[in-house]
This record gives sequence, C-alpha cells and structure tokens, in this order.
Amino acid sequence: MAICAFAVTAVYPKLLIRLDGDYLRVAVSPHLNFLSGRSLERLKDGASIGFAGQLTITSGPNSLIPEARAVAHFALSYDIWEEKFAAVKMAERPDGRRAVSHLSAEAIETWCTDNLSIERSLIPADQPFYVQLDLRAEDPRDQAGLVGDSGINITQLIEIFRSPVRDGQKPFRLTTGPLRLSDLRKAG
Amino acid sequence: MRTPQAKLVIITAFNDINAGRSRALRSAMSRTVSLLRFGPLLFVALCCRVYAGEEIYRSANENVNQRYTIESIAVAGVQVDEARLPSRLRQRMTALIGKRCDIAVLEDLASDLRRELHLREVSHHLLRGSQPGQVRVDFDIVRKPVDASVPKFLYHSGQGFTGEAEISSRVGQNNFSVAVVSNGDELTERFSGIAARYENSHLGSDRVRFGLGFEEYHVQWNSETATVAPEADLYSSRRNIAPEFTFSVAKPLTVSVGASFEQTRSDDPAVGLRDANAITAQVNYGHKIEGDLVQQRIDGRYDLRLGTRDLGSDYSYARHMISLRYEVKSGRQSAVDEFTAGALTGNAPMFERFVLGNSSTLRGWNRFAIDPVGADRIVHNSLTYGYQFGERTFEMFYDCGMLWNPGNSANSTRAAQPRHSLGVGYKQGVFILALAFPITDGKVTPVLMAGMNY
Repeated sequence: MAICAFAVTAVYPKLLIRLDGDYLRVAVSPHLNFLSGRSLERLKDGASIGFAGQLTITSGPNSLIPEARAVAHFALSYDIWEEKFAAVKMAERPDGRRAVSHLSAEAIETWCTDNLSIERSLIPADQPFYVQLDLRAEDPRDQAGLVGDSGINITQLIEIFRSPVRDGQKPFRLTTGPLRLSDLRKAG
Repeated sequence: MRTPQAKLVIITAFNDINAGRSRALRSAMSRTVSLLRFGPLLFVALCCRVYAGEEIYRSANENVNQRYTIESIAVAGVQVDEARLPSRLRQRMTALIGKRCDIAVLEDLASDLRRELHLREVSHHLLRGSQPGQVRVDFDIVRKPVDASVPKFLYHSGQGFTGEAEISSRVGQNNFSVAVVSNGDELTERFSGIAARYENSHLGSDRVRFGLGFEEYHVQWNSETATVAPEADLYSSRRNIAPEFTFSVAKPLTVSVGASFEQTRSDDPAVGLRDANAITAQVNYGHKIEGDLVQQRIDGRYDLRLGTRDLGSDYSYARHMISLRYEVKSGRQSAVDEFTAGALTGNAPMFERFVLGNSSTLRGWNRFAIDPVGADRIVHNSLTYGYQFGERTFEMFYDCGMLWNPGNSANSTRAAQPRHSLGVGYKQGVFILALAFPITDGKVTPVLMAGMNY
C-alpha cells in the first residue's frame, strides 16, 4: 500500500521540447525548482548568484560529442525591499543581453529555461536525437584566500580539492529522446 | 578536435565502466565523461567571469539591490566603528556608508576580510534599513578551527633553501601555532627544527598581550665557520623558552619586555650544556602618512638583549640593534630606504652575532666570505626603487654595509671594509624573484633568490 502511494506521488520532471520559429526551446514539467538550498539563502541575503545553463543535442543517450550546444549565463538577485527576483542573461554582445525583474522564484526559473535555445538549422533533420538540459550555480569559492600576505594557505588549498562541488551547487540534468525534428510541436 | 583514436579510448573505457570492472576506474571515468559533457558549462561556471564586450563580467555587477544606499556596515554583528579590524579595512568600509550598495565592492571586501583575518569564510548579508531605499550590510564570519600555511619560502643560489610551514589555531583571544623551520639565511648557522608559540591578545586589556615562545633547533655549521670559529662556540643544538609581554603604549608605538631562556648543547662533552639566558626588550614604532598623491610610511624598531649571570647565564653580554625604514609611494613608483645598525658587547653566543650577505642585506655577497663567524658591529643600508605594472613590480636595489669587530678582537677574521651590491627584482604579491651582484674587483658571481615573504 505504501509502495503504491509512493508510486502515485513521486513525479519526476520531464523535458518538454518545442519549436519556436527557428529555435528549439525547452520547458520542464512539472516545474523545475532549481533555486533552492544555499543558492536561495544567498540570494535572500542580497548576494548575486550566477547560473550557467546548457542545452545539448546528441545523437545517442550516452553520446559524448554533441551535435549542437547552447550555453548561457544568468546573473540572479533578490530585491530585499520588494521581495522579488531579478535576472540578467549575459551575452558576448550588448544587444544579446536580456534582463527581467519583479518576478517570483518560479517565474524567474521558467524565464531562465525559456532563454536557452538552439537554432533549428543545427539539429539533424533526418535522424533521431536526444536533448539534455544542464543547470548549475556558479562556483562561489573564493580562491583569493589561497595566497595572501602571510604566504600560501595550505588549509585553503585542501578545501579546494576536498569539496569540488559545494552545497547549493548541485547540478540539475534532464535528458529526453529519441526525438525527430518532424515530430516536434510548434509553439503558439 | 577529438581524434578517432581518442574517441575509441573513451568508448573502451566507458564500456569498462558499464561492465563494472573497476570501481576506481569507474569513478575516474565518470568524472572525465562528466567533464567532457559538461566542459563548456563547467568552464563558464568556474571562470565566474565572462568576457562581455570590453568589460569583465561579474554576477555581482547585475544585482538588483545596487540601487539602494548603504545605511550601516557591521562585522559579525558589531558596527564597523567598534569592530576590531585592520585600519585599512575599517576605512574602506566606513567610506561605503551613504553610498550606493555596490555588491562587487562588498564581495571584494569579504574576500579581503577573509584573507587578512585568516578566516574560513566571510559572507555579506543585506538587511532592510530603517528607511525604504536603505540597506544594512552585515559581514558574517566563520573562523577556521585550524589553519595551515607556508608563511615563508626562499631559494638562494648561494645558501640553498629556507622555509617555514605553520599550523595555527585560535580559541577566543588565545592563539596557538607550531611551525617547522629550516633557516640557512639569517644567522651564521643553519638551524632546523620546531618553533611553537602561544599568544593571548587580550590580557586584561586590549593594550596588553602575552606571548610564550618555544624553539628547539638542530644546528649545522658551514665548513668555513667550522674552520675559523673556536670549537667550544660551535654547539650542535639549541632550545629556547621566551615569555614576553607587549604593551600598546599608543596607536603607533608598542613596547615589549620579556626573557629568553636559551640553552645550547655541544657534542664536545667538555663543553656540554651552556645557558644563554637574557632579558629582552623591544620598541616598535609604525606611522603612515596618507596623502592624495603621495603615501609615506615610517617604521622604527629597537631591540635589546641582555645576557646576565643573574639569570644563571654562562654568557654575559648586551646586544643592541636599531632598524629604520622609510617608504614613499606615488602612483606607480615607490622607493624604500632601510637602515640597520647594531652593537654587541661582552661574551655572546654565536646566534647573537651579526651577519651581512643574505637575502635582505648585502644581497649578492656570500656572507661566509664577508665574515664566517659574524661580527660584533653592523651598519647597513638598503635603497630600493620600484615601478609597478598592474600587480607586478619591477625593482632595482642598492645595498651597502659593513661588519667589524672593535679593537683587535680574536673573532675578527676579515678586514672590516664597506661593501656594496646591486640587483634587480620582480615582485608579484608575496612572490619575489631577484638577481643580485656584489660590487667587487674580483670575480663577480651573481646570486639568484626566489621565494615569498623573505
């Protein structure tokens, strides 16, 4: 009975893929709550958190070489007076920069995934492919303390090698496939 | 571009992982695969900075709270005016009050706080201020239970390696440290062993500190010293216990008084143990003059060690040493002048004798060629000019100095004469690389020095 109940309530997030004009975009259902734990605490303390997102198209589920890839970097912050989130998508060129503010946590998470896209022309038209979404908070480690006025700090050096991934940096990864371009539904 | 062979190696290894042949290989390969798949993302994440146009990007530059004004700043809940902080950091924090809340500046401050106070972690919290549009900043600190560091390291082409590795711990106002030391730079001897220290930085008042040092060293002598010095003076090990009280008389002036209970042990049974117990005193003065264009700093120090039979010492002597340092900086240029003079009277052990020709005095000279047993009198001056390029500084230095023994001392082994040397250096942070040349009529052999904090 207990096992049955668990089977009903345990819902794993799924990647939903759609074509939006000349771009392939993703959504996560149910909603992917990647703003949590230490990252969320730091945001609510007024700090900035950088998130790196990656969307990859591969020919197989374990394929190491992607057919196409899109990487984006988001700077998130939390307005301590208005209690709302803001985000900026960084780009190499100023015209590619996008910003949004006054959003809830859920809305800002959706905005980040919406802003990851791959050009349709880069996706294989005649063969099945897999789509993978990766999200990770940027490494907040401060390596400036390694070498200071008092010499080389061995404790800091040990800390860097001891914990390659800190709390709150847990990466999120979702994969879906095989898909065909002709099967994808168009947005709108 | 990954070659077909490389791809084959990866696929073969991946099959090994799936077959579960080796746990270690599985772990290593999963990391490699993860790195390959996550490569560009990891790169972006680790760099924390993305080149955007001509500006280096930082997440902190895009914080929505930057439009607010800083109302107050506290460190661990204590307002910055009352917190015990280095004056430079306090000034930087105070200057931010009333200004726009620049998160990148706060992150830099947190980083500097952590480095200067040797903390495990420093993070800043923003809290709502007393009025809308204002924020309060609180730096939260987490102390390290134990800290390990290499405070000093030097390679000298003429005298080999000198270094120190230290473990320290702080409990309240009490600081404990143990260091492993090998030093072939400062004295006529090379001493290697351990140095432990306890320090209470608040003995009833912030103005009084108490320290207790313990040193246990094995001693090695250079062949030239061993040939020239009387055998009875060449001990094989020494141990020192040194309690000391330090009084902060005024902000730039501290006075220390204490004692040094030092014992030397000789391999010669006829000499055996010898005590070199002394009363110690030290006066330190430091003053900084901050101008808009020119910054100056003046430091002075006087050291006194009085070996007395009243403390059960086998030696009776007085050692005086005075050091003065003046530094001036303007823009990218800096100049430093350091003057040292000392005098030793009476019958003193070898470790008290003055030397020239090491990493800080008469650089480029071999100190054993100047005087292998050291001397009773010293005078030295070092002039350094530096030009800064970003974090790098190129330096030129000129050293001159003289060692001598008054009268016809038996310890006088070389003719007393002033000596000079020139050199160039490259400095980045605590790391220093220098090449020095003695100015002499004979063969000139340059000396290379590389290391940090020497």
